[in-house]
Amino acid sequence: MRRSPLALPLVALAALVLGAAAPADSPVNVPEPAGYWEGALNGYTPKTLAGAGLVDAAGLAALIAAEKPVLLDVSEADRRPPDMAPGRIWLPVHRDIPGSVWLPGAGEGVLSPALEAALTARITALTGGDRDRPVVAYCHPDCWGSWNLGKRLVRLGYRRVSWFPEGIEGWQDGREDGRDTATIRADAEWSAARKASAGR
Amino acid sequence: MRISRHTTALTLGAVLSAMVVGGHAQAAAGDDETERAARWTELQQSIFGDRKVETGPALVTMDLPDRASDASLVPLTLTMPGKDKIQGLYLVIDDNPAPLAAHFVFGPAADPDTLKMRVRVNTYTNIHAVAETKDGRLVESAKFVKASGGCSAPMGMSDQEAMQGMGDMRMKFADSKPGKPIEATLMIRHPNFSGMQMNQVSRDYTPARYINKIAVTYGDKSVFTMDGDISISANPVINFAMLPEGKGPIKVVAGDNQGGRWEHSFDAPAASN
Repeated sequence: MRRSPLALPLVALAALVLGAAAPADSPVNVPEPAGYWEGALNGYTPKTLAGAGLVDAAGLAALIAAEKPVLLDVSEADRRPPDMAPGRIWLPVHRDIPGSVWLPGAGEGVLSPALEAALTARITALTGGDRDRPVVAYCHPDCWGSWNLGKRLVRLGYRRVSWFPEGIEGWQDGREDGRDTATIRADAEWSAARKASAGR
Repeated sequence: MRISRHTTALTLGAVLSAMVVGGHAQAAAGDDETERAARWTELQQSIFGDRKVETGPALVTMDLPDRASDASLVPLTLTMPGKDKIQGLYLVIDDNPAPLAAHFVFGPAADPDTLKMRVRVNTYTNIHAVAETKDGRLVESAKFVKASGGCSAPMGMSDQEAMQGMGDMRMKFADSKPGKPIEATLMIRHPNFSGMQMNQVSRDYTPARYINKIAVTYGDKSVFTMDGDISISANPVINFAMLPEGKGPIKVVAGDNQGGRWEHSFDAPAASN
């Protein structure tokens, strides 16, 4: 779901073609859409998220130390290409900020009512329903998925939402300073809900 | 929110103590290394089975940027000081979902001194080069690279455009001296679609179509064969060298996973001086 800088013009073009609340074709001055971002999830994001705070990697480390926030990663999982030869070794691995909950696909702008309910229930369970519990949304850099989840959290009434746009790679940039990652599996309950939803 | 490095260090100390106190042992310091080592152990098992992979002295050294500016085109140079002992080479990008990027087998016409290619790197990862010696040993070298998103990066053009001229090949030769190895650069036009690239407009995945076999011969002798995968960058470029005493054309046969097959012959350069 991530892409190289070379792909940026295509993303910008795609956004124009889609004609949705168009993001700028440069990393600056991308306006916040009124609702969720429903276009491709890779792309330049706004620098703000109304109702939520932005956090950088150092700030996030401090927040984790001080308050143990709920950390939610919405990165999409790698999918085995169906036309890849069967004998090939396919062993995807996902690394996250330790202690995170991985909710692949939960950053989509459009969720079915069933998935929306499942996500809300999962967030309520993880926060204990405490709207003052700090919650952090992230994925990769230039990812609308974490922006969307942050917005969803704000709309759900969470008062201490942090959006971490640098994402997994931004966190890993401090690897030499001890910012570890941990391999993680997708959240079981969320995955079950997604599977049930896809089967319908 | 900016925090000084000093404060960060203090904070990290606090994080770690909090995690230990809180019983989150899986997040303790050094797990990154531990988990990466465990990953490599798992991959060795998948790729080499029960064969032992030795660590150093390395027969291959790897040169690549610590941080790649384009994760879908990470330049990689493999230098083989132990080339006389080497018959093959496995390239493993540990955290790519399809970790085995390439397997080279060198033939009698090869001078396996240096190999260069460009690879896709999906996330911050170790890359392992494992040399297979003529007496059947496996010896590894490793390097860490910071790059992200290379397997899923779209090519910035339509699939049709990306497939134009598929299978076209060129070969360039460095100036060669009589009796010295012939250095060559093979360029194959092929999108090497990973199957993980999404069309940004339709949001469909482009089907995987990648070169899975390249065989290079010089006259009647093999230079190398390469089994490739989706981790090789689009429009593969491979630098290699041949021993000078070959007779006849240099022939390249390439095939992909969709049954594409292309064959081209090139005249070996006339040595100057």
